[in-house]
Amino acid sequence: MSGLSFRSDGVVAKSLKMTRATSVLVAALTAGISVNAMVAMQFVGGVAQAVLAGIVFGTLVISTSAVAADVFARSEQSIANLRSIGATLKSMTGAILGAVILWGVAGAILGTGAGSAIGTVSGGSSATAVSVLVEGSVVILLSVAAMSAGVYLGARRSWRS
Amino acid sequence: MAQLEDIERGAGQKGRSRFAIEMRHVKKSYGPSGEHEVYSDLHFQLLHGTFVAAVGPIGCGKTTMVNLFAGLESPSDGSILVEGVDITKMKEEARTAFRTKTIGLVPQTQTLIPELTVYENVELPLRFAGVDKEAREERVGLVLDRIGIAGEMGRKIRTLSVGERQMVSVARALVNDPPILLLDEPTEALDPLMSDVLLGLLRGDNMTRGKTIFVTTHDRRVIESARRTLRVKKKIP
Repeated sequence: MSGLSFRSDGVVAKSLKMTRATSVLVAALTAGISVNAMVAMQFVGGVAQAVLAGIVFGTLVISTSAVAADVFARSEQSIANLRSIGATLKSMTGAILGAVILWGVAGAILGTGAGSAIGTVSGGSSATAVSVLVEGSVVILLSVAAMSAGVYLGARRSWRS
Repeated sequence: MAQLEDIERGAGQKGRSRFAIEMRHVKKSYGPSGEHEVYSDLHFQLLHGTFVAAVGPIGCGKTTMVNLFAGLESPSDGSILVEGVDITKMKEEARTAFRTKTIGLVPQTQTLIPELTVYENVELPLRFAGVDKEAREERVGLVLDRIGIAGEMGRKIRTLSVGERQMVSVARALVNDPPILLLDEPTEALDPLMSDVLLGLLRGDNMTRGKTIFVTTHDRRVIESARRTLRVKKKIP
């Protein structure tokens, strides 16, 4: 994904009519997906955990891709204007990602923490301190990777159309 | 076929093309099968440092010409060279980067971002060009000062009059200090005082900084300020 940039640009994000609501939506998505994944991971092992990780990744790619596509659709005229003065797919993707990544990570951490607690209290068979830490880290890292991929894919699709 | 050469200035600079802009046998048409033809064989050159006013009736293709020069539209056939570089052969990202440093564009329709302030709008091309914050502040301050709207830099675009917005567009076009300025009907929304400010600025940039200026207009004062006039005729089907 050569066009991906994590550089946050609040001014460009504001040009794209990105509001706090967009960031909160992404945070809620990642929190909801992470909490479910973390609980489930403590009751299964091996292959099933890998499948769960795949589901977390895929779901977040699809949802953040839709969020990015929606931002592009709502800001079609602004994007045309920004393109005429030097905006590129990279700068647009970076602006969207910058506006959602912190909230997305916060949602993932919150969801992972809550999921770990619920799973442990419910007596998940694989719920040791180390396994919870590893599984939690995997879910958070997967969420970041999925959000990045999703924003890039959504932006690229809209950029070309 | 239009031929336009400014032989008084601009020729002979070492290491770059003789021409700021060249159109080579450009054909442009719209519609699914190209049924609406704007140009069939447009061929002309603009030397560096010229100031040209393009005049002609509505619908003759003046705005299309500006968009083609800026690389915002592609010709149906033929090639367009800006500073000796064939922009029709460039990929989009490369063309965008090239436009950012080479061309200052003031479109006919307002393209400012209403959610942003005057300062933020003028700063945007510098952000996209990767200019650091300190240099951005300095350059935006300077250009707003030149245009005479430095006192308005904190105002949101939506609170400005149409004429003030036009001046912000001009500031945004100038902020990268591009060698070529393209302005599409720039005085249309301006009162006489603002028009004088703008025309004085353009003449100054042309005479002292050697900028190439191409402006489409119906305004006699703009035509009188320019050093050449290009008359574009509407194609009769």
